[in-house]
Amino acid sequence: MTTAPTLTPSRTAALRAGQIVAVASGKGGVGKTWFAITLAHALARRGRHVLLFDGDLGLANVDIQLGLLPAHDIASVVAGQRSLAAAVQHHQGGFDILAGRSGSGVLAALDPAALDGVLAALRDAAGAYDHVVLDLGAGIERTTRRMSGFADLLLVLATEEPTSLTDAYAVLKLHHADRGADAASAEARIVVNQASTMAAGARTYATLARACAAFLGHTPKLAGIIRRDDRVRDAIRRQTLLLLRHPNTSAAVDVELLADGVAG
Amino acid sequence: MRLKLYRAPAMAAAMRMVRAELGPDALILSSRRVGDGVEITAGLESAGPEPHMALPIPAPAAPRTSQLSAPHVQALSFHGASPALRNKLAAGPLPFALAAALRFAPLPLAAGGKPLLLAGPPGAGKTLSIVRLATRLVMAGTMPMVITADGQRAGATEQLAAFTRLLGIDLLVASQPAALERALARRRDGAPVLIDSAGADLFDPAQRAALAELAAATGAAIALVLPAGIDPAEAAEIAAAHAELGARLAIATRLDVARRLGSVLAAAEAGLALAEAGIGPGAADGMVPMTPELLARRLMQLPLAAAPRIPEPAA
Repeated sequence: MTTAPTLTPSRTAALRAGQIVAVASGKGGVGKTWFAITLAHALARRGRHVLLFDGDLGLANVDIQLGLLPAHDIASVVAGQRSLAAAVQHHQGGFDILAGRSGSGVLAALDPAALDGVLAALRDAAGAYDHVVLDLGAGIERTTRRMSGFADLLLVLATEEPTSLTDAYAVLKLHHADRGADAASAEARIVVNQASTMAAGARTYATLARACAAFLGHTPKLAGIIRRDDRVRDAIRRQTLLLLRHPNTSAAVDVELLADGVAG
Repeated sequence: MRLKLYRAPAMAAAMRMVRAELGPDALILSSRRVGDGVEITAGLESAGPEPHMALPIPAPAAPRTSQLSAPHVQALSFHGASPALRNKLAAGPLPFALAAALRFAPLPLAAGGKPLLLAGPPGAGKTLSIVRLATRLVMAGTMPMVITADGQRAGATEQLAAFTRLLGIDLLVASQPAALERALARRRDGAPVLIDSAGADLFDPAQRAALAELAAATGAAIALVLPAGIDPAEAAEIAAAHAELGARLAIATRLDVARRLGSVLAAAEAGLALAEAGIGPGAADGMVPMTPELLARRLMQLPLAAAPRIPEPAA
């Protein structure tokens, strides 16, 4: 028999508060920003207080996907014009957003110390939320890597395509190298997106997991499998949320299930 | 990592292509059947550190414990899997993790083998399992010998006799060890022998002794028949008690009518190898060999169906 955990409910809540969940993929175009938005929405629908942070460095587009015209964005925070909390705006989906500024490259251009300042401000702001969903840029350059290392949980998106698998593996490898012995406390998990079937998604996960097991010596867990769904494209084209427009579609059900895992 | 897909008519040919191009260090990451053969995904990790690995990244401050659990871990909680087993299976993928953590084995039904004795609590589905196994053997062209040692329950013999008549095989009734030995002496050409037993509570010393005697008299391999949907702790104790009497195998019944499979997992965790799964009402097709894939599918199926209803969106 195992002993029951001794955490009291309040202690558990305290640990959970402000969990920073970063969403990365390595390769672009695998649905990362869509997934980050939909995850934030799903968590909000569970009654969680959620901040969606657009960390998509040079080409931020959370606001574009949602059809927002943000009054403030990350650039005003970096410039010191506003505090992070004051730059946040509320979305009708029930979560807060800190928009990026597409094309500005404002985060990518930061020197390491300034970036750490922004991240420290994010950690402070996170205390007011249950979850902060951090949409990272594609690629594995310095700023993205620093931000993924900063998260409590890294969700790495992969699709069935070999290019995506290879790039997702690169993200997992760097995360493993950056976190080293600390990896257990900031674990990376795999999200298979655009899976043609659940079984195909499970195969994709198994392929990536096997590469990690053999070459990195550890096996990232599966966060969830999201099936390919044309209604995702429809929701993006209409600048609306999938869970509002097509709440019972397969991708929506899959993200909801995944969100249950993140919500704990 | 370099990742490359190879297609060939057969596995051996695909493997040769991998070795020829990527060398002996390449790892097979996955393989699957495609229309005209097999497709292998192979990966090769570059030797030595990659340039970008050298970039020093300071450890971020105060990481927090993640609260995430994967869908299959949630599913395992739903089914009532023990914390120890959930941990073992957490890394997934579920079929692989199940295959590694639990044992799966076919029932020994080959000609000339030991008799197979089905035991278990009353109402577990022993008699129906005997019928299904006999049906499977007859359909495969083997005439098994069926013996029932269940002389207690009213109508038990008649129920079995109705099926054995249909199958055209004899049913021998032998409740006492001496009668069993006589019945076994009539076994011809090493025909498989299936023995049905009375439902027993092994925590009752007398019933326990009776089953031990039955097993000893027949030299049979014991398979525990255990239904899904019962309390996992109870199932673990029942399985352990049967294992003590020499049972090594388990037949899981009622997978089609139970929502939770914790009892099946508990029996396997107690050391029994999972052999068969009762998945439907039919005598011919209601039971199939249990595999890690089947169990994984069944484990994932119910929680998905029971996923919380998504509320209607606000206008």
